[in-house]
Amino acid sequence: MCLTEKKRENQLLILYASQTGNAMDAAERFGREAERRGCPSISVLSMDEFDPSELPNKEAVILVVSTTGQGDNPDSMKGFWRFLLQKNLTEDWLKGVNYAVFGLGDSSYQKYNFVAKKLDKRFSSLGATPIIERGLGDDQHPSGYEGALDPWMSSLWSILYQRNPRLLPNAITPDDTLMDQPKVQVIYHDTEEGLSPMTTSTDFNYLEMQLEKAHSMNPAKYSGKNRPDCFLKLTKNNLLSQVESGKDVRHFEFEAVSCAIDYDVGDILEVLPGQSPEALDAFMQRCNLNPESYITVQARDNENRGFQKPSSPVKLKSFIELTMDVASASPRRYFFEVMSFFATAEHEKERLQYFASPEGRDDLYQYNQKERRTVLEVLEDFPSVQMPFEWLVQLVPPLKTRAFSISSSNSAHPNQVHLTISLVSWTTPYKRKRTGLCSSWLAGLDPNQRVLIPAWISKGCLPPPPPSLPLILVGPGTGCAPFHGFVEERAIQSKSVTTAPVVFFFGCRNEEDDFLYRDFWLSHLQKDGVLSEEKGGGFYVAFSREQPHKVYVQHKMREQSSKIWSLLSQGAAVYVAGSANKMPADVLSALEEIVSNETGVPKEAASTWIRTLERAGKYHVEAWS
Amino acid sequence: MGQDKLLVITDQVAVSISAVSDAIKKLRKEDVVEVDPLIITQATSDSLTSLEFSSIDDVVSLFKTLEFPSDQLLGNISRVLKPGGAVLFHFDSQTIGEQMKNPSLEHELILAGFLDIHRESFGMKCKKPSWKIGSSFALKKTSQVLPKVQMNDDDDLIDEDSLLTEEDLKKPQLPSGDCEVGITKKACKNCSCGRAGDEEKVKLGLTMDQINNPQSACGSCGLGDAFRCSTCPYKGLPKFKLGEKIALSGNFLASDI
Repeated sequence: MCLTEKKRENQLLILYASQTGNAMDAAERFGREAERRGCPSISVLSMDEFDPSELPNKEAVILVVSTTGQGDNPDSMKGFWRFLLQKNLTEDWLKGVNYAVFGLGDSSYQKYNFVAKKLDKRFSSLGATPIIERGLGDDQHPSGYEGALDPWMSSLWSILYQRNPRLLPNAITPDDTLMDQPKVQVIYHDTEEGLSPMTTSTDFNYLEMQLEKAHSMNPAKYSGKNRPDCFLKLTKNNLLSQVESGKDVRHFEFEAVSCAIDYDVGDILEVLPGQSPEALDAFMQRCNLNPESYITVQARDNENRGFQKPSSPVKLKSFIELTMDVASASPRRYFFEVMSFFATAEHEKERLQYFASPEGRDDLYQYNQKERRTVLEVLEDFPSVQMPFEWLVQLVPPLKTRAFSISSSNSAHPNQVHLTISLVSWTTPYKRKRTGLCSSWLAGLDPNQRVLIPAWISKGCLPPPPPSLPLILVGPGTGCAPFHGFVEERAIQSKSVTTAPVVFFFGCRNEEDDFLYRDFWLSHLQKDGVLSEEKGGGFYVAFSREQPHKVYVQHKMREQSSKIWSLLSQGAAVYVAGSANKMPADVLSALEEIVSNETGVPKEAASTWIRTLERAGKYHVEAWS
Repeated sequence: MGQDKLLVITDQVAVSISAVSDAIKKLRKEDVVEVDPLIITQATSDSLTSLEFSSIDDVVSLFKTLEFPSDQLLGNISRVLKPGGAVLFHFDSQTIGEQMKNPSLEHELILAGFLDIHRESFGMKCKKPSWKIGSSFALKKTSQVLPKVQMNDDDDLIDEDSLLTEEDLKKPQLPSGDCEVGITKKACKNCSCGRAGDEEKVKLGLTMDQINNPQSACGSCGLGDAFRCSTCPYKGLPKFKLGEKIALSGNFLASDI
């Protein structure tokens, strides 16, 4: 136990673990609200920026944590959590530390808010004092996580005030009229210093520089992603699905242009999408911005994290294009609050204040989040608002990379990377037709256009299997993408070593419309192919809509019960990939049944055994929504 | 007792007659006269695979090694033993002190399906249950058939799953879990059953007249979605001026009037 004296400095620490930015938004909101209540010292930090061994010194800690799709911690929490799980931490290690946990989760998942629940329990078992019962935000709630956050936060402030009035002196009468200051300042320059006018944007060095500068300037949102791993050139854009099917699934091939590309099967490619020139122009016009001016962006105050001294100015247009999402992501509630200060028309000001208030939260949710209103649309709906560029830089959602499972084997295609992508499209509640930013941008790209795409390679949830490992693969729809790479890789490996059997379960609607890579799978079913009977392999397809009742991959798995069990008892690993959140659970359920039926053990024992498979690194799921 | 089949297994290369008869006396508590034991030397967990199931009356184990027989070997011993048969684990006199300190000896034998487990001066003694069919088989199957999974345990970290209570593990109440029965009765975010597509086809409810000559009692309809009520018929449409035809953009799902 730490023997140093606890600093009674009336300090509030807010730690967050965010995967997609929601927990960070929530944490920053706690920070602002604490500030309005007069808290003398506030620290808002991501968990990977904080040393957990400092925890016993803290008086009050608020922890805001998201649970990701499969019940996992966000990446930024892994180190922090590992530290907390140590057996040698005593049950009074956090004695005297007051804490509160708020979780962001989705009750349609089995492991609802598991991260927050476990964190809460661990803190209290280490001797920390709960300020208030843990709060659980739920995406399924009509207003999303804010439905739970607002009332929870009110209780939090009043209890904290009772325990220590000096921590939040204005808790009873928070100052809501005081306007905050933007966190950044923007400096305009005459020219881009030191650059020859001959370079164009097709030159990847120029693009790389712009990207790096822009990223390094943008407030705290790009941890670790300044420099792309490589720049890609599109070489193929082929439609895989039938035009009449109503689906648009494509096979993309890219070539690395800046440097040699290196990846394993099962890895993830993240790309930075381009934004439509029309949308960018409309945005700059609406905001009275000069696309040709050159800017540098700096922190307004000195004590903050992640800001570097920028090397040289960047073009305003590039800065927006590369870092600010103007026509896809929705702004958060705080954006509306700040807008209200800059609205000159009375009815707009009122409406914006209403949207930013607790009473207006549900209506804001309907108008903004549910409808997936873009920044540009919001600005056009409130034409009297003129928001200074500094605020736009801070509050316009950052342009995010989109991640895709790689569908090629690097050994089979040196210096290339392939993707299998389904165009995302939906109709909003107000009946507007929308498409996904990245998928529609890619779908519309022409290999002759010579567009350069910044890309990063990262590890996902599917570690590359050694050739001697028998495999049970389940990948309906675009879930087949990583396994396309697996099969390519194993085919190459089988030329030099003996490879273990591979069994693949695929699913789609019907044979005509969306039987992705049909010829590829069938070719490997042929004699001596990776999926062939001779090699102990198998390939099974579930066509969901070819008969009145639905047939899915789990039904096909049950048909192959003894084959699956035979592979499992040989030490096979199971890999599941795909895009529906029920599918992994259905597959798991089918496996439990199979183990139970083949061995005679009760279902609970089979279930436990499969969980040990998971912990031993033999059961992997990559699920996306 | 007739031709009782006795099995002696040892990891040694050879075993003395006196050691064997000594052990048999402890097992049977009677003098050994007509016993012709089957002796397996240099035994490993696989050594018993050739023996038939339920073919041995009693087993004596004379292992010199410090380690207690693996659960695979125990499983095999159980398999070849007749129901009611006894097993005697005779520990080596040099190591018996250490071996008896192990608190899991009973545990391992229970897991392998043995009963009547006793610690003795020479080691352990136990019996295979006399019921032939039923749950004892299932137990045996569990230890034998579900392969052991190699784990790289992080021994210095607690098991995080132990932090969850029964309550936590229960599947949460889903307001919209079942598309048909939910309170909100809406299609899921990533609907795959087709319901979302069906919802798209619901008619607009706007007449041509309303499009050509839009009116607004509240006055807010023309200001755009940000100002419209949830029941506004013009929801989703662009801004308009009263009386002027509304411009329907291409990405709007028009009604089929």
